[in-house]
Amino acid sequence: MNGFFWTCGHLGWGIFALAVFTGLWWLLTDLYWRLNRIKAGRLVATMATGWIVGAGLILLALYVATR
Amino acid sequence: MTMLVLQILILGLLGAAIVLWALYFPYPSPLIRRWLPARKRWPEAQIRMWLKDGRFQRSFLRHFYSDPERMASPGNSILAPADGLVTSADMRGEIRYLVIALSFWDMHVQRSPVSGRVLKVESHGVDFMDGEGREFAFLGEKACPVQKRLVVATNAGQVAVRLITSLAARRIETWVCEGEEIERGQRIGRILLGSTVVLELPAATKLLVRTGDRVWAGQTAVAEGLTAP
Repeated sequence: MNGFFWTCGHLGWGIFALAVFTGLWWLLTDLYWRLNRIKAGRLVATMATGWIVGAGLILLALYVATR
Repeated sequence: MTMLVLQILILGLLGAAIVLWALYFPYPSPLIRRWLPARKRWPEAQIRMWLKDGRFQRSFLRHFYSDPERMASPGNSILAPADGLVTSADMRGEIRYLVIALSFWDMHVQRSPVSGRVLKVESHGVDFMDGEGREFAFLGEKACPVQKRLVVATNAGQVAVRLITSLAARRIETWVCEGEEIERGQRIGRILLGSTVVLELPAATKLLVRTGDRVWAGQTAVAEGLTAP
């Protein structure tokens, strides 16, 4: 888990990718909400599912790369 | 070290985007405006807020003052004088009043529905009101909304266009004067901000649009059958 937060003098790719993905996902959620006025509950469920899948893929990629 | 700087730069940009989002919420951040249609780019609540303090976003004003070229539908049909939504097409006496409500997001330049000569450019009304197109409020004797009425004489009768202001819109510009010959679809004036335009037609004309239809100034044919008496 060391390489996740910090590696070779810079932020670990895991935390960096998660931070960038989370920020972009947040902004994308806002854009999606403005373009498709859907119910808040449905929006939260959809975007949370998307975030979990994205974060899972990042962690999986990191695991495969550092195995 | 270079990698760390690059990472911090990327995170900084992302952070700035999120700060912008938070500063503008619930209205759209400037970063995403370009991808939104006009109504969502500048929500009504935001425009009403600007109306109160008299300060508008420059991009909104650019959109508002836009004056695109229009291609008139072929033939001699009567064109819509304004962009907007047809809210009524009722008769009173021998005149049919086609009421077009303009929203904040509509193009606000009005165009002549027919070719002819401008007979009159009259000013009416003393009051600013919302819902100025309802219940023939614009025909009122005293407290009717501020408006300009342009009468255009054609070979086949007269047509009039009323440019009416609302609470939000307090200025009307007319760009034609009495005696001037004007073309079908020619620009005749502009109302600043949300407002109403009423087209007065002889009863004999046949309407081509219905209440709820969307029309475009100088482009959509709204009626036909303007014939000499």
